[in-house]
Amino acid sequence: MRFIESRWPAAISVALLVFLMPAAAHATKHPKYGGTLRVEISVAGVSLDPRTWKAGSVATAENEKLAALVYDRLVTLDDYGRFLPALAAEWSHDGSFRNWQFRLRPGVKFTDGSFLTPKDVSAALQPLLPAGLQITPSEAGVVIHATRPAPDLLEQLASGRYFIYRVQPDNSFVGTGPFLLAESSPPAPSDTNPSVLRPAHMRFRANEDAWAGRPFVDAVDVLLGNPPLRQILNLQVGRAEIIDIPPDLVRKARQENLRVWNSSPHTLLALRFDDAQPAAADAHLREALDLALDRDTMANVLLQRQALPSAALLPQWLSGYAFLFGATLNLDRAKELRSALPGHFSGGAEPLRLRVDAVGDLMKLLGERVAVNARQADLSLQLVSRSASSVNASADPPGIGLHLFAWHYDSLSPRAELQSLAQHLHSEKGEEAAAEPYDPEKLLAEERRLLDDRRILPLLLLPDYVGIAATVRNWSVAPSGEWRLADLWLDASESATSNPDASSGRSVAPGVHP
Amino acid sequence: MLSSSQNAVQPNVDRLLSRCFSVLLLLVLAICFFPAPSSAQENVTLDDAVRQLAERVAAIPNLRGPVRLQFLQDPDFAADTGKDWEDSFRKEIEKRRVTISGDSSANLLRVGLAETPTQLVLSAGLRVSDKEEVRLVTFPRSAFHAANTPVSPVRIEKQLVYRSVERILDAASLGSASGGGLLLLTYRNADLSLLRLDANSELKEVIPLTAPGPYLSRDPHAELLVHLADVSIFLPGRICQLNASAPADIKCRAAKFSWRSPTVATPACDVGGWRLEAEGTDWTTTDLLQVVPEDTARKGSAALLSDFPGPILGINGGEGPASALVVTRNLRTGNHEVYRITLACGN
Repeated sequence: MRFIESRWPAAISVALLVFLMPAAAHATKHPKYGGTLRVEISVAGVSLDPRTWKAGSVATAENEKLAALVYDRLVTLDDYGRFLPALAAEWSHDGSFRNWQFRLRPGVKFTDGSFLTPKDVSAALQPLLPAGLQITPSEAGVVIHATRPAPDLLEQLASGRYFIYRVQPDNSFVGTGPFLLAESSPPAPSDTNPSVLRPAHMRFRANEDAWAGRPFVDAVDVLLGNPPLRQILNLQVGRAEIIDIPPDLVRKARQENLRVWNSSPHTLLALRFDDAQPAAADAHLREALDLALDRDTMANVLLQRQALPSAALLPQWLSGYAFLFGATLNLDRAKELRSALPGHFSGGAEPLRLRVDAVGDLMKLLGERVAVNARQADLSLQLVSRSASSVNASADPPGIGLHLFAWHYDSLSPRAELQSLAQHLHSEKGEEAAAEPYDPEKLLAEERRLLDDRRILPLLLLPDYVGIAATVRNWSVAPSGEWRLADLWLDASESATSNPDASSGRSVAPGVHP
Repeated sequence: MLSSSQNAVQPNVDRLLSRCFSVLLLLVLAICFFPAPSSAQENVTLDDAVRQLAERVAAIPNLRGPVRLQFLQDPDFAADTGKDWEDSFRKEIEKRRVTISGDSSANLLRVGLAETPTQLVLSAGLRVSDKEEVRLVTFPRSAFHAANTPVSPVRIEKQLVYRSVERILDAASLGSASGGGLLLLTYRNADLSLLRLDANSELKEVIPLTAPGPYLSRDPHAELLVHLADVSIFLPGRICQLNASAPADIKCRAAKFSWRSPTVATPACDVGGWRLEAEGTDWTTTDLLQVVPEDTARKGSAALLSDFPGPILGINGGEGPASALVVTRNLRTGNHEVYRITLACGN
């Protein structure tokens, strides 16, 4: 259908419009350009080399957040389950999901001014892709060939370490993202007090030629390794706009009326048995400890409702079926099982030794709580500090039967995530990695299989908590957990301590809460 | 070969014939190297999925005796779907001769509906003969559409007239002289298009706008002005003009201008006029449309409020003096939506 009206001199209408249109504010709000966003995160150092990132580690999650400032992905996932083109403008696959073609967006430049080519994409992704996926450059894009069907390839590429970057001859990195790294300084002695170390600092400058449009802020200043309490203070007094908050300080932050956002639970805290201590090989002992664990108290009392109890490896938001896994607290049965065990198994003479693998006071507290629960079932459990147990952090001394570890979910593909977690757990036991189920029921069966022998006992799920200044507008986070800092802007008219998003909710449901 | 639906390319009619042969050739090659997909992504309703799950549960071997139902769903997601799916499941499972009981001794059947980043997952789990039986039905979130979305004309306030996965920058009414309907300005991948809807909000024409060139911005803003058949598109620092009868003939020039002032609606019974204002803070929060008296003497006397499912991105005058068009982005679905606001008299 075509318009049917005859043509009118267009200039008349425009002149009329310009004449009639008074200079006035638009009815809707608009972003503001400019300003420097100051971010403080607890980790002391980050790496922008995705090849060195370790799956599941909390440090990797922090690396990804900052990498998203300087790199792009081939595709992204929006908040509504739709894959959006990023550096790949189009994609297609065959019916077997083995051959995928990606056509690159033309005219995209790295921040050094050179054009992005299919070879760059291939060189960036090949070292990152899991075994069984082969990438080759084509005329206008790249082709990824999978030895086995990969229906979840887009989920994988839209999350985790699959950024597109280029390694320069001097081993520095460039990307096509909304910012570029302008400055990076390691920790250094303070000018005023040389005995105190000044935290490491990174400054990212806006990429004026970013293919997706210039970010709203001019720069992002990142301070690394500042202690959490100092970060909270800096947020309160307007010296920082974004900080990360450990779960045990969330309550304090909220009591001080700070604006706190939380994600879906992205970190799993779990126990892993290790046959290095003979008692850990006993199925009844493992079952007794499982039945003695009071996950609800850990989540609601120890962590003041800032965590969720979990009996599954994958969280509900990722698998959709985690609620089908149930953990039962049954101290009577636990004691019954304990009484049937040989006397020296986890008895006073040789307690089960628990090492806390992850760092932080919270993990130590949790380890102590596990020991309390164990004692309630007459199991003797001794907490061993990491430094005492191992001079060399990469090797365990003999005799550690139980590990408390943290796992940060990295992939939007539940299959890839479970496989990665299984590989991590099994590699430490020297076993084969889990199979690759694509069917959701097979995936659930695989998860059950991993949990059936109770060598792994999920405990809690922790969300990420972020403190946000009142001046920050349009705060949003990608489903993969990356902060969308290029899309936010600063509203200087707001007081730094007021709380525009205060709501009555106080739960771990994702969102901003007072 | 499957392609991203969001990257569908509008066919260029002029070149179609000349490219016919090469397209056919490519198609043959594509079929040779890339076999047809096993299943096409289709729209799925929750009812379909519920039926499928009930069928699979009823087929569990040795499932005997009554079952007690327990439903689990994230409260936020439940706000979208309502509880109808639970009733549907009850009916579907009973239809398949599985008895439902409220007795606590009955076998517990846990049924969940969850949303993951890419999928909707319907799950059911129960123990049968000491074995945990689980059935799952999943489908892509992007393929899911609520079975019934209320889109009905209302006497006053607002009526949803169009929704799109494309970003809608502005909407304008076409006068009756142009056949009525709406004109929408959309934005995707730095490209602008005009969408012509008829009076029933049916899409009638898509006009890609190549003349303005790529418009790269994180805040693409543009406004439409329609005067009879003349359409003006206001872009930052530029004005493009075209005529409705020959939309391909578009001319752009640099210009200085002010963006549209607040829209004022004037119902027949109140010539004083009411100003339409959005008061949200940013793009992550839902918005309230405030309708406040234009007359300063009446300021504070009244402010009608209407809530929207996301931030209000544009307000433009409607087809009559008492109406307006509001563009919003639904935070729940991600769709851009156009509402017609009408101020009428009386209760």
